[in-house]
Amino acid sequence: MPGGAREVAESCVDSLNMELVATYCKRLHPTKPDLAGRRIEAIGYQVGLQLAERYTRERPRFTDHLESIKFICKDFWAEVFKKQVDNLKTNHKGVFVLQDNRFRWLTRISVDALPTTGAQNESAVAANAARASQAAGQYLYFPCGLIRGALTNLGVPCAVSAEVTTLPACEFNILVLKRVE
Amino acid sequence: MSSTACFVIVSRNDSPIYESEVGTAPKKDEAAHLHQFILHASLDIVQDVVWNTNNMFLKLVDKFNDLLVSVYVTAGHTRLMLLHDSRNEDGIKNFFQEVHELYIKMLLNPLYVPGSRITSPFFDTRVRALARKYL
Repeated sequence: MPGGAREVAESCVDSLNMELVATYCKRLHPTKPDLAGRRIEAIGYQVGLQLAERYTRERPRFTDHLESIKFICKDFWAEVFKKQVDNLKTNHKGVFVLQDNRFRWLTRISVDALPTTGAQNESAVAANAARASQAAGQYLYFPCGLIRGALTNLGVPCAVSAEVTTLPACEFNILVLKRVE
Repeated sequence: MSSTACFVIVSRNDSPIYESEVGTAPKKDEAAHLHQFILHASLDIVQDVVWNTNNMFLKLVDKFNDLLVSVYVTAGHTRLMLLHDSRNEDGIKNFFQEVHELYIKMLLNPLYVPGSRITSPFFDTRVRALARKYL
């Protein structure tokens, strides 16, 4: 917001995200992780819609899908996560992959390592990585919704999924949906 | 100096979100229908013009007798359309920008469903005040 902008402590955003996941995934729908994920994503969708309107106020409109995605990677990411997306890949057929090597909301998450004995190091490391990506995946529902809401409002109907490679790096897969005539 | 002006906000799914007569001319019943008709008819022209430019303010898109239609399109493809008979381009541009701010504030309301009609009397009052100020 221009002039005299009010600010919020970042710990509030972190705490809110953590509590969102804890409430939906553990308290409200402990037996249905997909439903919990969809509800968190729906919240993110609404917020992304609103944020996209706000951030595109000053700038000229977009001419095609690629411009909208680049806006997400640069301006939108910079406003929400204080940095730009590190890598954008596309197959030019409607699939985009956004890689962020240090996703801000994952930097404060750590996973307890399984106790490792000498001989089992490799499988323990792999098991740890799998547990990490599964646990951290829950925290990515909200950002997926954010991206989907922002893109849909800018005229790019899409489906967004995310996966954690190694904490705190993650990847977002955007699939642009063709309109059914 | 009285002027006719009719202002309509159309969402990306082509449903009207907000309509009002904001001019200072005395009200005539038949004229209101005509204003709506002219604005809706110019939507087709807006569809064409919108892809040729990436500006938000599309200036003048259509003309009917002595009434002019100016349009401002947001990034989310929401169209703010104004039917007027004056030629005050700067004033109209400022009016559109201020209404865009108001519209964003409306969107930030979590209880507002994007694409539904805006029924808030505050929004109505503010739009009329802006129209008196800029038009």
